[in-house]
Amino acid sequence: MARFLLTRLIQSVATLVLLSLVIFVLARATGDPLTLILPMVATEEDFANARRYLGLDQPLHVQYLMFVGKAAAGDFGTSIRARRPVIELLRQRLPSSLALGAFSMAVSLLIAFPLGVLAAVRKGTALDTGAKIVAALGQALPTFWVGIVLIEIVAGRLQWLPAGGNDSPAHYILPGFTLGWFVIAGLMRLLRSSMLEVLDSDYVKTARAKGAGEPAVVWRHALKNALIPVVTFAGVYFAILVTTAIVVETVFAWPGMGRLAYEAITARDFPVIQAVVLVTAVIVVAVNLVVDSLYACIDPRIRIDPRRP
Amino acid sequence: MKTAALLALCLLGPSPVWADARPSGELTVALSSFATEVLDPVLGGHGVKFYLALIFDYLIGVTPDGQLSPDLGIATAWEPSADHKRWTFTLRRGVRFHNGDELTSSDVKWSLLRAISKRSTTGYAGVLRALLQDIETPAPDRVVIVTKEPTLVIPPYLSRALSSEGMILPRKYVEAVGDDMFAQKPIGSGPYRFVEQVTGSHVKLEAVERHWRLGTPKYRIVTFRVVPEEATRMAMVRRGDVDVADVSRDRVREMERAGFPVYYRNNDALLHLWWILPWDRVPVRDKRVREALNLAIDRREIAATIFGGKAEPAGVPFGLTWGFRDVRWRNAETDQYPFDPARARKLLAEAGYPRGFPISIFAYQLPALPEGKEMAEAVSGYWQKIGVQPKLIPVDYPAFRKQWVDRAAPGAVGYYNLPNRDWIGTYTLLEKFAHTPSKPTDTVADPEIDGMLEAILRETDREKINVFMRRIFARLRSEHYGVPLVYLHTPYVTSKRIAHWNPGSVMLDLNIDELAAQR
Repeated sequence: MARFLLTRLIQSVATLVLLSLVIFVLARATGDPLTLILPMVATEEDFANARRYLGLDQPLHVQYLMFVGKAAAGDFGTSIRARRPVIELLRQRLPSSLALGAFSMAVSLLIAFPLGVLAAVRKGTALDTGAKIVAALGQALPTFWVGIVLIEIVAGRLQWLPAGGNDSPAHYILPGFTLGWFVIAGLMRLLRSSMLEVLDSDYVKTARAKGAGEPAVVWRHALKNALIPVVTFAGVYFAILVTTAIVVETVFAWPGMGRLAYEAITARDFPVIQAVVLVTAVIVVAVNLVVDSLYACIDPRIRIDPRRP
Repeated sequence: MKTAALLALCLLGPSPVWADARPSGELTVALSSFATEVLDPVLGGHGVKFYLALIFDYLIGVTPDGQLSPDLGIATAWEPSADHKRWTFTLRRGVRFHNGDELTSSDVKWSLLRAISKRSTTGYAGVLRALLQDIETPAPDRVVIVTKEPTLVIPPYLSRALSSEGMILPRKYVEAVGDDMFAQKPIGSGPYRFVEQVTGSHVKLEAVERHWRLGTPKYRIVTFRVVPEEATRMAMVRRGDVDVADVSRDRVREMERAGFPVYYRNNDALLHLWWILPWDRVPVRDKRVREALNLAIDRREIAATIFGGKAEPAGVPFGLTWGFRDVRWRNAETDQYPFDPARARKLLAEAGYPRGFPISIFAYQLPALPEGKEMAEAVSGYWQKIGVQPKLIPVDYPAFRKQWVDRAAPGAVGYYNLPNRDWIGTYTLLEKFAHTPSKPTDTVADPEIDGMLEAILRETDREKINVFMRRIFARLRSEHYGVPLVYLHTPYVTSKRIAHWNPGSVMLDLNIDELAAQR
């Protein structure tokens, strides 16, 4: 297990270094951020001053080495657009995204688990059909459309819930549901098919033959094994919810990482783009590591054999 | 006895409004973008004047229609020396920053020097740097600005009418906490003090009681929120979560029908198209071609359809109307280009292009101009009808700007929604767009205009400046130096509790003062 984790860790660090180089080059290929920051009447002298002040006048390799050296110490530089330390922007935005991601994941799990299990147990019934429709819509409808429709109807016309911002628990409901519906659909379908497979397995038949009640067979024996692919899916999706909710965060004016990424990309705010991508990568890598570890815990058969070369 | 006491109270008369009223409640302004989201005026504060102007006072205040006012800024009077190289400003006494320090001439001098320092990215730092020679502080309430050349432009440059160079900062506080901390926790002397900022979300301000500029503000809290999605902004207005929001021109009617007041900044911007220099090898070097391209466009149709009737046809290249009144330009109907494709075709034939010629049009979106690409397509369609072969090139603005300043696509067309401004603002714009030495942002190569622009900076007779400005407008129009398309009206929707609001006609400002003021 330790060797497995160490290997994954080394792979992760190499991935991050490569990624830092790629994002550094790609961000600069998009254009000059000063054209968006300086006023239209700015002189070329103003441009030169700003370039010097922001360190953009240095050769690219010098800029890259400075970026990597400082990033390793947790300093991602200063935002070109907001003129504040990038780490401070991340500190403001990451908790918002984590909170929204956790809320929508909790909603997803609460809805998808019973729905997925019941759809499998009552295969072919109206409940199964209804669950499949929910899943199909969740995966087919674009999140920006779902978000805007919810805002127009629930917030704008009915005025039941707030439309934008993150000031109160009520503000979580619409973006949380919009973000979570896609995950509900995926989780539920996965759990349903996984449960169907497990319910048909020999050990479940044995449990039934030994006289175990149906609830015990479903919730205690079958669900545990059916969870393996679901845990992987949920883990990866949690990372995605936290780091790439650009559309939902923009639509609901949610000040999170997705919005930060969007603002940085549109403003060519290189330091922020680089930091967001690196932090995103670290989160994805960390979640994958945790999921791999959980995976091995849930099913001891798939732990890596230390004697294997 | 009771009657006598009541009579005595009545005789004393009403107490001053600020004596018993306290700010209460909250005013929330939701905007689609904050541009820069900075709190330090020198770091691009021109883009967020609408909230910085509540935190800071300007050296020279302006009325909502952009006229310099001794009642609305730190300077209560200003006058030039006989040679117009020394400007003496008398400062308002008793003004205090939010930390209690008194505002003096030392703060004014230090703020102006900081605004023109090389670190500054304000709109006119470069121009002021070139113009200023020295700043003297003979007394705590006196500042003398010495210029290298005689000039009339110092007061407007340091006023709220333009950018953020005229905002006065607390010298002692900034020196004590440093630039970086100031940029996060600013202190000013304005009617609202800074409370908090969550980037990408909001800036929250709290009222200062008994402020010299607004009296006691009506609202205890003013919050500026960034809400990029329009559906969200409108839902927030409907729910009463927001009091003021920008609204797109095509959604105005829906909000009006729902009973929400809509206020306009009329002629907020001029949508202006230009041809990238140099012109010596492209058809637009011929004045007849430039006129033909202007005559081919039905501006009224564009205003009515693409801009939903919230725009007016424009006729003078760089003709910013808020400057017209200052210099007494006629702004006449005769300036309008008629829609005359037949004459346009004739002019092209006379210029030697009976079958037209290829022309590239860069198509991009701009802040406050979501209709950008649609407009470019429409212009392309009109030009096609007179035989020109336009090629639309979809790009984003930075990509276009590179082509423009590198002069990599001579004769190709770009555009910008130029914020309207007064005469000095127009002058500074012309200095960048129509002044040959201002390469690479120049769009007009005309020695006659160059000469007049240079003369204005040295001129100290205001009437002569007006004459120069009028002659410049006339020349821009008669030579067809660009395609002035339409003046855009920018709508703002408010909650029903806002009874009245004049968003004013000051560049990049929203006159939130009026909403915040006690009424």
